[in-house]
Amino acid sequence: MTKRLVQGNEAVLLGAVKAGASYFCGYPISPSSEILAQASVYASRHPEFRFLQAEDEIASANAILGASLAGAKSFTATSGPGFSLMQEAIGYGHKVGIPCVIVNVMRVGPGTGMPTMPAQGDLNQARYGSTGDYTSFVFYPSTVAECYEYAIHSFNAAEESRSPVILLSDGFLGHLNEVADLDAVDLPIVPRTLEPLASGGTRLFSGVATYPDGEPATADADEFIRQFHESRDHRVKVAERYAFYEYGWNKDAETLVIAYGITRRIAQPLAAHFALFRPIRIWPTLDKELTEVAARYRKIIVIEGSDGQYANVVERMLLRRVERVPLLGGRMSLEAIREGLALIGMLPAELAPSGSESPAPAR
Amino acid sequence: MAVKDKLKTHLFPTIWCPGCGIGLIMQQLATVMDELGMDKNNTVLVTGIGCTGRMGAYMNFESVYTLHGRTLPVAEAIKMVRPELHVIVVSGDGDIASIGGNHLLHSIRRNPNITVVCNNNEIYGLTGGQTGPTTPRGTSTISSPAGSAYTPINLQGVVNTNPNAYYAKTTVYHQGPMRKAIREAIGWPGFSFVDVASQCIENNGRRIGFASANDMLQHYRTEYKAAPAGSKHLEPHQLGIVKGEPVAVAGPPPGDGSGE
Repeated sequence: MTKRLVQGNEAVLLGAVKAGASYFCGYPISPSSEILAQASVYASRHPEFRFLQAEDEIASANAILGASLAGAKSFTATSGPGFSLMQEAIGYGHKVGIPCVIVNVMRVGPGTGMPTMPAQGDLNQARYGSTGDYTSFVFYPSTVAECYEYAIHSFNAAEESRSPVILLSDGFLGHLNEVADLDAVDLPIVPRTLEPLASGGTRLFSGVATYPDGEPATADADEFIRQFHESRDHRVKVAERYAFYEYGWNKDAETLVIAYGITRRIAQPLAAHFALFRPIRIWPTLDKELTEVAARYRKIIVIEGSDGQYANVVERMLLRRVERVPLLGGRMSLEAIREGLALIGMLPAELAPSGSESPAPAR
Repeated sequence: MAVKDKLKTHLFPTIWCPGCGIGLIMQQLATVMDELGMDKNNTVLVTGIGCTGRMGAYMNFESVYTLHGRTLPVAEAIKMVRPELHVIVVSGDGDIASIGGNHLLHSIRRNPNITVVCNNNEIYGLTGGQTGPTTPRGTSTISSPAGSAYTPINLQGVVNTNPNAYYAKTTVYHQGPMRKAIREAIGWPGFSFVDVASQCIENNGRRIGFASANDMLQHYRTEYKAAPAGSKHLEPHQLGIVKGEPVAVAGPPPGDGSGE
């Protein structure tokens, strides 16, 4: 039992190592660079863990695909702009069926944006960033301990789904230091499911549409549809085992707040006045779970660090309008939430501005 | 063991055009692999996008048919995780030197123990015949009808910024030297690059005046000459091998090699 101060980014690395990761390839980018740096230090002390700082994010994302095919649980870490560069490789991983983990510690965009300010604006990119149709697994923790736990869940989901799993974080959570007892986390580790390269077969791992024997199938819609349904159905089924969310605060309140990642922590002082639904598995969406919870509430407010990326998803899921409190430009604070609630006439009188803006301690 | 066992002959005829140079490369590569005892248990192919990339499907090995330009990051990672495997990259000029150019620049610095066989047909063939990074200046192509405007990339120069690399220039006509170059490259400790001039009759040759694939192939006989023995540098249109200082390669360094 060792409680100690741990940083969010550090916890992600420790979780990856616990899950059995043995290959990291990345490129420096704020606010994720601690993961790269600590992976490098870890590698220098543990020769079985391979590390490479590559020339760019494109090389990093492709390298972890190769490493995974070769037999290593592999991962990379980046932020929004680097995540954009990795999209082609992510799509390739979905097409070919390669388990790996991509950590995206989000910051304000678009473009180079505000490199050190937290945001939650990559939800759409995490789901739809690459070309074509595929089933994205995306997890987003809210505490440093959860950064560790969901790193492990990400590697497990990657193995079961045979796809690249996205672990979201943000510039606030990544740099947050909390006391945690990571040794107390006891999660099963899913072993490797993909037979490594050169194990006796002559498989072709192809991004181009092919028949199972390797012949090009680039004009066969029936074959495409067959393969597409097979992989989608498999992944949707796996997702059912990873339906993580939190439903709490004041369940008898009239209004439901939906918040996730660091926003859920910043919004904690609202707990007496609202119910909370916090998705931890962002994609695939928690349709069944959220629909059931949302039915009990007259109003829903989505508080998030973007211009309504998850609010739009909720509206489509529930076929009803929601209220929005966007936290933009890195201003992710209780004060900003109060202002946002006041703007839509939903700030409880008791929460009118008073003093401290720091996030509430972990539950 | 026979050369035939390295090829998935049940998938023949291949998708390549009659007269394509790629088949000549595949044949010599398979021959060398057979000589060296390379098989599906000790060798992995990594191929790029373009007609050349289709080679993996026709060979009796595991192969990774990567995204365009990304063979080198994938190959290096495979080699780092499984240093005991032969990792052979088979790629075209556009894939390795245009979209893949940045990776080439940096793989060179890292000197991974992998071998690149480049089908250098000086064109983007699969997409119809656009100018590529090695297309000679002034060549009429689909995207440069008035003649390609820029100086081709200096592949030899890029590779030889690594003082420990192996670079060979050969052609699909010169089958014996090509075989020798591939054999030496595979055995080379560190980065090795075999630059094979090759013909694309359908989407390049006809447009620039060759009547047939055989004409293009025979043309290499006169267009290229062997460099003087011991040359440290190959001039344009010279065939030969430039070897850097071989390093002792005994698997990857622990972690990132920085130590603590």
